[in-house]
Amino acid sequence: MSTVTTNGITLDLDDIQAGALYERPSPYVGVYLLLRIRDRADGRDLVRRLHRLANPAGSADTPDNTSITVAFTYHGLKALGVPQESLDSFVPEFREGMAARAAILGDTGESSPEHWEEPLGSSDVHVAVVVLSSDAAQLREAAEKARQAHAQLPGIDLIWRQDCYQLATGRTSFGFKDGIGQPSVEGTGRPSMNPRQQPLKAGEIILGYPDETGELPPMPTPDVLGRNGTYVVFRKLHTKVAAYRSYLRAKAADRADEDLLGAKMVGRWQSGAPLALAPETDDPELGADPRRNNDFTFADDPRGFKCPVGSHARRANPRDALDEDGSVDVRLHRMIRRGTSYGPILPDDVTEDDGADRGIIFVFAGAHLKRQFEFVKTQWLNDGIFIGAPLESDPLVGARQDPGSFTIAQRPIRRRLQDMPPFVITRGGEYCFAPSLSALRWLAELDT
Amino acid sequence: MTTQDDGAATQPGLMVGPTSEFSLFFRVKPDQGQSLRAALLDLQNTPGYRPGDYGMAIKTIHEARFVLFDEDTRLAFITSFDGPWDAYMEDFFTSGPTIALFDLIFQHVEGYEGLPDVAAVKAFVLGAEQTAAAYARNYGGTVKEIRKAQRVADAFQQVLDHPQAAEALEHPALQPLLDEAAD
Ligand code: HEM
Repeated sequence: MSTVTTNGITLDLDDIQAGALYERPSPYVGVYLLLRIRDRADGRDLVRRLHRLANPAGSADTPDNTSITVAFTYHGLKALGVPQESLDSFVPEFREGMAARAAILGDTGESSPEHWEEPLGSSDVHVAVVVLSSDAAQLREAAEKARQAHAQLPGIDLIWRQDCYQLATGRTSFGFKDGIGQPSVEGTGRPSMNPRQQPLKAGEIILGYPDETGELPPMPTPDVLGRNGTYVVFRKLHTKVAAYRSYLRAKAADRADEDLLGAKMVGRWQSGAPLALAPETDDPELGADPRRNNDFTFADDPRGFKCPVGSHARRANPRDALDEDGSVDVRLHRMIRRGTSYGPILPDDVTEDDGADRGIIFVFAGAHLKRQFEFVKTQWLNDGIFIGAPLESDPLVGARQDPGSFTIAQRPIRRRLQDMPPFVITRGGEYCFAPSLSALRWLAELDT
Repeated sequence: MTTQDDGAATQPGLMVGPTSEFSLFFRVKPDQGQSLRAALLDLQNTPGYRPGDYGMAIKTIHEARFVLFDEDTRLAFITSFDGPWDAYMEDFFTSGPTIALFDLIFQHVEGYEGLPDVAAVKAFVLGAEQTAAAYARNYGGTVKEIRKAQRVADAFQQVLDHPQAAEALEHPALQPLLDEAAD
């Protein structure tokens, strides 16, 4: 049995799905599948087959790092016949589903559920299967296994499929390297990427272990269903790359200034080099160095001269920037992110929209939908109350109906970008639960 | 047992702009009125709570008061702070200095089990919350914005004290400042 003990916490890695805990080495290719269960018996058969394919976090990686992760929506668990008492024991956000939370999350206007891609946000979405591999042939093989798992079952429909990838550079559609800032978790045996931050308590990410408050996260019942599971959020986010580039071009003095403005919006240069360590110019070596590119805090830059207080990465993880406030415990609002890209990359320099759909499939894993995903999205990205700028939202990903502004601290006078349109549109998404392997077995064996 | 629709539970505290009101009401333990008064006096004398200090441990609170009433048999805690209360609830209960301070006061009120059981403290505080029936504010802005505004206003007064201020403010770009310079 493979377990790792740190600070007295022993994580049952053989029972936890690998997808929740471990990053896939880039580059990789992948596919997201959404399934609908029309027949309960077939649904359970499906879960039995998927259980055989899902990878525990404790198993050795295959050479091509192929992995399959399985998660369910509330409606999916219901379709499988999970008893009502147990359904009721899930947190309310999960039971409601992402579409019902749209007004809270800022998914309004163009991003509102009535414009979402079908069938996202509907009660037809029951099972999500994610297959990732560093090798296209292996992906096809694994995806074929997943396909067989459902295609032989007449009571199961494949209702959505999304191909995705991660480039070797780690860069996503806006041109920035993504997936750098990531908390390490006690008991996973993986070293911290940020030497300045203690690993998070396991219960921040996996149910059944104490979290940062010292309590067990609220866990659905029975125990076998909840323990070693985690909530997973996925969102298909369309990125308006041409609009973003034209906006920067219009506001910037020259090409170097365009790069600088982009970096100020994100908090990192395109290479991934953090502004906190490389405030003036990009430093690709720093960006590529995992030992250094996360080794910083904001305490020496309270006003944001290096990294604006309103930049995306500083909002999404303020590190020590809010410690003086006495009202926020940043460690309660961390998350594991597993984003991948979809759609063709817009060639460099193109500022005309080519009409193609491109963006990221944002994926969150964590034990607390509300105080992790929803908190970060609503309080830190969509709002600016916490930085004393209630009218500013995240320049890159903030939900805004009206054009927004973004303040860049600099001497002698601050720079303010005005009339900033939204650059990210929500195409849909779901709140899911990725159960443990023993819970998958339990689900397959239900006899309700 | 949680039920299907408690996700729609109304959020505690009304908001005006970025700011929420938050009020807690407690019953004082029998014969503890006097010791509670003494504890509050101690609180009043701690740095940050001394009148004129303007330095409370929670930097996002506009003001806070403890009120003993009904012949010291009841206690109210009333405050306004920036952001929606329920989003910050967990933070409040895990951020050390505040909860330790409250611990000293809550000891004198009924139903308080004490630290370190954070979950019990949370349930206790939530049980004491009453949302206002009416709430208004006379200025907008977060504490952070108001502090910045005060610094800017002080700086402006310093500029006006400069012998060449009138001349310096002649530039057309400074017209909005000149409009504020006459009184
Ligand atoms: C299309 C939408 C988005 C894009 C293009 C995007 C892009 C990025 C980039 C380029 C970074 C910096 C690299 C890194 O640290 O990994 C980053 C960091 C981050 N983003 Fe996003 N992001 C998006 C949406 C979101 C959303 C919706 C959330 C959360 C609700 C989020 C949370 C984070 C977090 C937590 C970090 C890490 C910050 C740190 O630890 O320093 N992002 N994102």
